[in-house]
Amino acid sequence: MEIHKYEKAWLVGALVLIFFFIGTIAYVSAVVGVDMVDDSGGALDVDEVSEDERFADPRVEQVGEDEYEVYMIAQQFIFRPGTHDTVDVPENSEVTFYVTSIDVIHGFQLVGTNVNTMVIPGQVAEITVEFDEPGEHGIICNEYCGDAHADMEGLLVVHPEDEWEEMQGGDG
Amino acid sequence: MATFVDRFPFEAKVVRVAFALSFLFLGLGGIGGMIQVLHRTGYLRFVEEITGGTYYTVLTSHGVFLVVFFTIFFLVGVFTWAITKDLDRELGNPGLTKYWITSMTVGALLTSIAILAGFTNELPALGEVSADVLFTFYSPMGAHVLFYLGLALFVTGSWVAGFDWFKTWWGWKKDNPDKRIPLMTFMVLTTMLMWYLGTLGVAVEVVFFLIPWSLGLVSEVNPLLTRTLFWFFGHMVVYFWLMPAYMMWYKIMPKLAGGRLFSDPLARVVFVLFLILSVPVGIHHQYLDPGIPEGFKFVAMTNTMFLLLPSLLTAFTVVASVEHGARQRGGKGYFGWLRALPWGRPAFSGMALAGIMFAAGGFSGMINAGMNINYLVHNSFWVPGHFHLTVGTAVALTFMAATYWLLPQLTGKPLAGVKAAAVQPYLWFIGMTFMSNAMHRGGLLGIPRRTSEPQYEQFDYEPVFGSVAELDFQIVIGGALLVASLALFFYSIILTWFGSKVSADGGEGEVIDDEIPPALSGPENAPRVLDNLKLWVGIAILLIVLAYALPFADIASDGIYEGSEYIPVMIEVLT
Amino acid sequence: MGTESREKEISHDEFDPIGTLALIAVYFLILVVMWIVMWYAEFLDGGPTVVG
Ligand code: HEM
Ligand SMILES: [Cu+2]
Ligand SMILES: [Cu+2]
Repeated sequence: MEIHKYEKAWLVGALVLIFFFIGTIAYVSAVVGVDMVDDSGGALDVDEVSEDERFADPRVEQVGEDEYEVYMIAQQFIFRPGTHDTVDVPENSEVTFYVTSIDVIHGFQLVGTNVNTMVIPGQVAEITVEFDEPGEHGIICNEYCGDAHADMEGLLVVHPEDEWEEMQGGDG
Repeated sequence: MATFVDRFPFEAKVVRVAFALSFLFLGLGGIGGMIQVLHRTGYLRFVEEITGGTYYTVLTSHGVFLVVFFTIFFLVGVFTWAITKDLDRELGNPGLTKYWITSMTVGALLTSIAILAGFTNELPALGEVSADVLFTFYSPMGAHVLFYLGLALFVTGSWVAGFDWFKTWWGWKKDNPDKRIPLMTFMVLTTMLMWYLGTLGVAVEVVFFLIPWSLGLVSEVNPLLTRTLFWFFGHMVVYFWLMPAYMMWYKIMPKLAGGRLFSDPLARVVFVLFLILSVPVGIHHQYLDPGIPEGFKFVAMTNTMFLLLPSLLTAFTVVASVEHGARQRGGKGYFGWLRALPWGRPAFSGMALAGIMFAAGGFSGMINAGMNINYLVHNSFWVPGHFHLTVGTAVALTFMAATYWLLPQLTGKPLAGVKAAAVQPYLWFIGMTFMSNAMHRGGLLGIPRRTSEPQYEQFDYEPVFGSVAELDFQIVIGGALLVASLALFFYSIILTWFGSKVSADGGEGEVIDDEIPPALSGPENAPRVLDNLKLWVGIAILLIVLAYALPFADIASDGIYEGSEYIPVMIEVLT
Repeated sequence: MGTESREKEISHDEFDPIGTLALIAVYFLILVVMWIVMWYAEFLDGGPTVVG
């Protein structure tokens, strides 16, 4: 089989491109440390969500000095917490979200960021995020989940450190 | 000058029926597209005023009509043409042919009825019917059983169509024992083998899970399992849409440009690569799914990146073939030859513009494929931005362009409305540039796809440059140009269809052009092993097992008929 | 429809697709640059980011 010399050159170029892409992705994964959502959150039967100690009382919980965990339920058409009350965390924190669904498939994304996962009934999505700066982030469901899907939103607030301390004090 | 319709009247009729159905769904889908554009941007919101969440009825119809019915009806038409012309032989079993075209038509009809019933949520005799589940129909959202049954009839019909083409080839092979498989036939056969392997996933999903579940025969299904079965099929189908377009880029576009195909052997290599690589990549649609270990996602990612290779090779071979045409027409220089191409001829310009858009869509596809890079864009408006370049233009515009060249062969009538046809591809190109560009940028801001009203109360999008209002404006302008382009397309082909025949001796000065010149480097230069279809199917199966055995075992260990009960999508009707 | 105005026949051995090579080299560069731009937009421009 004869291949023209220019076409051979392009074949090499195409392979270089492919390895370059795979290489940068592997680098982000292994060195930068951006892991994919995986099975680490475990499976959880839809009927047992309300008995699971993480989701019986969906909440934000401090688990280390700058470490927090958020247990969240996505359901038609709200995030608990998130929609009726904000999700509050301090700046310079590392927050792990555990999100599960009690009905259909939903999405969970902090708008315009790479904090994004599917929420599938029967599975717990686990995703860890660094918040270095204070600010507000909209939470949206980005997977069609029924007629009022477009209304499914919430808010996450990253508080400046002083404000956070005040809030904690206030809660006493 | 006998053209296709004179030599193969039955086959020509089959192709015409398939094309007519295909274009019917293209038209309906286009109307849905315009409604979506107006509604999402807030320019005009009339669907919600008629009934409740009707946006998703429209969106389901747009997705299913365009990427299932428009594309696949066109495919069975053009493959029937290709096999018959390439082997110079009738299909040979009209009963079989009639069976599959009927099965596909009835199936498309049933599914369409189930979807359109979503406007009122009920049908006479059947009671409550709705299927607002979008074209991915993820459980536990359930459609009426009619929706799944229609799809099953449609897909099994396409399987029989493939058998019909294989039979034709087997007959030809008996008469021509030592000949190489002609190129178009090779493309049809490899594409169908890919289809048989890939549709297995969705067939199992629909037949063993969704149909019994929607009938209440089983009470629960595992949503992650059905979703994984869907995507086993869901990336392969992308190539099923694309392969007929590739076939025409390889076989017809060079000729329209005044040249010849640069390399027949490489075209074969490309189709073999698609056959073996297009299924074991489906998990790249599930990069953000919980419940699937990262290792499996990484495997899908590397396979996907290697699947770029056949497309990148195609880019070279096809452009070189077109360049050959341009040089024969007197084109000069590194880039100056581009001016020597027949840009005024819609069959050529449509395919060429489709190819240019595919190059752009290729880039956003690479980003989608980039596993961790995918986090930012997954399920955002970026994604429809991407696939309106690929299936929505590379495929759709190529099909329209090819029709300008094929329809005269299928009807014996010269192309009418030539001026409208000459403008049509450019309008599509400009419209899609606006719409797709704005969708991509909107996605980066975080605007989600599949959302009727992506305007929220608790936050605002924060564009780095431009504004959301400007993006919305681009989308509306783009959509309007696309619909105008569709109107021109329909004008030209309807006029052709109902026009008068060219007299057999070409008396009106028009001779129907249906010649395809041989390749510059022909099949004799292609290693024989390339035609060993059994070998490639074996390798394909091996790769599928490697990529999918463990993920399926892993997911099924959470339970096969355990998980979620049927949640019907009944969207409240406001009366 | 016979609009192919062919000026000359060019055979396989006389034809070097240099224009194609030029176009595809440009495409290659665009891809690499755009990939890097996306990478930057996603991981390096501040804001919250996924780490695990
Ligand atoms: C008149 C031209 C078209 C317009 C104005 C248009 C517009 C749109 C819009 C605005 C969406 C996004 C809806 C949403 O996510 O909420 C969409 C989705 C989609 N379009 Fe189009 N489109 C057109 C043509 C096409 C063509 C030709 C195809 C394929 C052959 C296509 C395939 C799709 C698919 C598969 C979806 C996704 C459906 C889903 O998410 O379930 N479109 N279209
Ligand atoms: Cu939703
Ligand atoms: Cu894919």
